[in-house]
Amino acid sequence: MNGAELHLLRSCSHWVLFALSVVFVPPLCLGIIRKTKARLQNRIGPPLFQPLFDILKLCRKGETLSSTMSGTFRISTVVVFATMLVLAWMTPWLCFKPWSPNADLFLIVYLFALARVFTLLGALDSGSAFGAFGASREVTLGLLVEPALLLGLVALGIFCGSSDLRLVFAYSPLQSTGVSGAPGIWLLVGVSILLSSLVELSRMPVDDPTTHLELTMVHEAMVLEASGRNLALIEFAHALRMSILFGLSAQCFVHAAAAVWRMSPLTQGILNIAGIGLIAISVGVLESLSVKLQWRKVPEFVAYVVSMSLLAALVAAGSGVTKL
Amino acid sequence: MKVERREIALGERTETIRQLLHRDSRRLGLISSINGSQLISLVLNPVEGAAVCWETPLQSKEYHSLAPVISQAHWFERTLWDMFGLEPENHPRLKHNLLHEAYSPHLLPLKLDQNLFVVGNGNGSGISTYTSTGTNGNGNGSGNVSENGHCRDYKPMVVKGDGIYEIPVGPIHAGIIEPAHFRFSCLGEVIFNLEIRLGYVHRGVEKRLCEMPWRKQRFLVEAAASDSAAAYALAHSIAIESLFDITVPPKAEYLRTLALEIERAAMHINDLGGLAGDIGYLAISSTMGRLRGIALSMAEKLTGSRLQRNFICPGGVVFDPSGKLSEIKKLAHQLRKDLQPVMTFFMSNEVARDRMENIGVISPRLAADFGIVGPAGRASDQRYDARQYFAHGVYPRIRVPVAVETGGDVLSRAKVRIAELDSSLFLIEQLIDGLPDGDSLLKLPDSLPKNESGLGIVEAHRGELIHMVFTDEEGKCSRYAIKDPSVNNWTGLAIAVRNNLVSDFPLCNKSFGLSYSGHDL
Repeated sequence: MNGAELHLLRSCSHWVLFALSVVFVPPLCLGIIRKTKARLQNRIGPPLFQPLFDILKLCRKGETLSSTMSGTFRISTVVVFATMLVLAWMTPWLCFKPWSPNADLFLIVYLFALARVFTLLGALDSGSAFGAFGASREVTLGLLVEPALLLGLVALGIFCGSSDLRLVFAYSPLQSTGVSGAPGIWLLVGVSILLSSLVELSRMPVDDPTTHLELTMVHEAMVLEASGRNLALIEFAHALRMSILFGLSAQCFVHAAAAVWRMSPLTQGILNIAGIGLIAISVGVLESLSVKLQWRKVPEFVAYVVSMSLLAALVAAGSGVTKL
Repeated sequence: MKVERREIALGERTETIRQLLHRDSRRLGLISSINGSQLISLVLNPVEGAAVCWETPLQSKEYHSLAPVISQAHWFERTLWDMFGLEPENHPRLKHNLLHEAYSPHLLPLKLDQNLFVVGNGNGSGISTYTSTGTNGNGNGSGNVSENGHCRDYKPMVVKGDGIYEIPVGPIHAGIIEPAHFRFSCLGEVIFNLEIRLGYVHRGVEKRLCEMPWRKQRFLVEAAASDSAAAYALAHSIAIESLFDITVPPKAEYLRTLALEIERAAMHINDLGGLAGDIGYLAISSTMGRLRGIALSMAEKLTGSRLQRNFICPGGVVFDPSGKLSEIKKLAHQLRKDLQPVMTFFMSNEVARDRMENIGVISPRLAADFGIVGPAGRASDQRYDARQYFAHGVYPRIRVPVAVETGGDVLSRAKVRIAELDSSLFLIEQLIDGLPDGDSLLKLPDSLPKNESGLGIVEAHRGELIHMVFTDEEGKCSRYAIKDPSVNNWTGLAIAVRNNLVSDFPLCNKSFGLSYSGHDL
């Protein structure tokens, strides 16, 4: 076997691994959170792959559409799902990624925003009062948390001297520069992405995803009118968004570790996946022990996250200056 | 307990009752009618543990509404309109309460003589079938037909203004709870007005109770609001016993109190767990779910039924569970010990307190005006606990501490429940220690006394529960009136949520812990 063949085999195996991850990691992520919460309440809980079974079940079900809906509702779901697939392909949330196009961090942040806009359009189009106020809450949260995710990624961009996330998450610049502050920045950004993803995904302590109370919901209120395959797509897109964000955060932690210990690509890959699982477990623990914040206190929580990202950006800018 | 019956003319009614209620600490028990030809207003005197039933004979279906001077009356008068077709003049917001659009406009379920007060040469002879509609018979005047011919219109209050929008919720809800329609008028996230529409589970319990032999009434009474089965059975038993003018053996009194307190403990645990669940505090909510199981198994040991059905009956209790009492005592002790750290954990969580503090506030003045009862009333500085004043079970001989808070918010209601939960469990242990010997069931005569009235007042876990029985000249039960604590407190919820966030409504709702079926009956 020559070099070219080896390379082809390697990229083929990457494609296969990537495809499997896109299909199985998102529902597994949800499953782990649910299982953790169940175990902490002394319940056995549903099987780990129950979210996947639920999505498959929804695919077989019929659909009920409100008579006030226009085509926007259906289109929005498809757009959100497609955007998430593109994001899964572009964003370096897994380290065993096949070839991907330019992964500009601004593009990625605003593709997330695009998905949000279409979720909102769908919610407003459904014509129910819950959809409307769910949308208004989502906009508020989105506005607040956008700087956190953006600043976190910008901090990494400044530090690595590129806004292309393929280069930022390439493991190489760190090992070559070996700045002592490096693991710190990675950790800081990892935590800030994780916390902002809790807001982004409407999870505790901002929104209780398990609640049945329509009046308190954020994300769930927007998708109340969806059913059948439409709902399956929404659920899967949401789970995918979760694993992309958790994956980004896990990647940051793996990079922090890689800045200290040298590790092989295989270890990195395993750590990456294990990191997502660990993050899911910790989110489950957090959700069991924390209390949902009062809606007026949510900006306070988001402010902590934003300032954490800001700190990371400042440190990165500072270290950039010293390098120069 | 015995109830004194006095007559009062229609013209003097408003003024007399207003003055009575302003004097010392008298309370309005209930307003209703026996057969549609009179009004009865039950005025309670807690200090003396006595009650007076004021009867006002009616010449027409119109009467002066009490609601403008006694706010609490507004709800009773709405029910009176539905059940007897009696129309209050000057009622601030007269709407149908229990009977919705689907019912025939001529249906006046509790009115005995359907032709009474019918104007004109009507042949509207008691049209009370569910299927008959509008034009069937000249029933104008006897039913609730509005002028445009459409029947039983219901118009929720509309709040107008820039940016005000309405959120309709229910009657079918997302969780497994009872049905009610909530209509919020909001400005952004802030609730301006909440209109509550109940009646979806109206089953005609009060009418059915008059149609059945009195010995079977207790089964229906228990089933009317199953989460207060013991309280309902106790109130019913006291009302029937007061007709016969008998007192039950002391041992039965103790056993009945045990059942009542176990029910209170189980429901307070349930309500506190629900509060924790609504703020997303899963650790507490699932622990409370487990602990409620212990309270329910105490109930099962005492009565053979986890919801305490078929235990308390007129004359005493159905059987004597003395052999199981030591086990119940052990469980009560264990439960009290288990609860303490959980409650400390719950109340010491800063975010949890933050969620409950100053949310859903109902001021002491409004609580007094609308006669808010039970834990919700005591959280708003109302020192009223029927256990202090009215004879039921071992009360008021044995005094329990009254848990009073002044905040009037969700946190205060939670604190009152925690305090009562602790005192209930402590009382259970004490009662078991002090259990007297003797019989636990007294045999009652077969037929009820004629032309009598009986009253039972019980402090259920939601607050003051009133059962009132009237018998006719044949010794048959002619009217059975029930006032569930929720009748008072639903209005309290509507007041409490004003100017709160929409997202805090479920929490406020849970903190009142109201019964839908108890209200609708």
